Amino acid sequence: MLVLSRHRDETIMIGDDTELTIIDIRGDKVRIGIKAPAHVPVHRKEVYDAIKRENEQAMSLADPSISQCRPGANRGSRANDLPAEKLPPRNDAG
Amino acid sequence: MNVQTTRFGIVEVNDDRVLNFDSGMLGFSSYTSFVLLQPDEDGIFFWLQSIEAPELAFVVTDPQIWVPEYEATIRTEQMESLELERIDDAQVFVIVNKYDNTLTANLQGPLILNLRNQEAMQLVLAEKRWTTRHEIAQLTDERSAASA
Repeated sequence: MLVLSRHRDETIMIGDDTELTIIDIRGDKVRIGIKAPAHVPVHRKEVYDAIKRENEQAMSLADPSISQCRPGANRGSRANDLPAEKLPPRNDAG
Repeated sequence: MNVQTTRFGIVEVNDDRVLNFDSGMLGFSSYTSFVLLQPDEDGIFFWLQSIEAPELAFVVTDPQIWVPEYEATIRTEQMESLELERIDDAQVFVIVNKYDNTLTANLQGPLILNLRNQEAMQLVLAEKRWTTRHEIAQLTDERSAASA
């Protein structure tokens, strides 16, 4: 890993169009300003990892009992407006 | 087109119902084409099925049904990348997961779909208010018995 020392208000360039600026330093907390092109997603790593992990977990879900669950209150869904393909009725015994 | 799935066999899907996740989903960035499958008339849960990988499918639901106060913030550049002109054209889904008997929804990584052009993406919300495992329901033994 490349390690650089920077003072407050100093910036690091990554490539031609991504800038990281040290905005503030207090104790063990650093505030960083990030300027990046719109197509470059910027995330806190722990949040990114959590969502990625959750996606991977959810993918292995194959439990038909879930669809028996119903919300407490009767709230309409927009199912009819959605571009969804209806599956043929399922034989749950199988 | 016919879509191969491990859970539902071969499913016939109308070509104009294919959803494009140009940047994929976190952890699955190479899969960009999905289709929504509706297992019953109620339209509470859907399967978001990959067209490219038969085994890749997620259970998704409309978060408004379970958490009425839920809001996902979408940034201007994200709206632009979906060519989303009006918020009303967007539909939000969240991915459902199950831990023991608890159904959870990933409210921190919602899926946004532009109903006008079928462009979709997974957002990563910066707000700490919503978590990746928000409890939405309990699966009771009674229910399991009823479904058997």
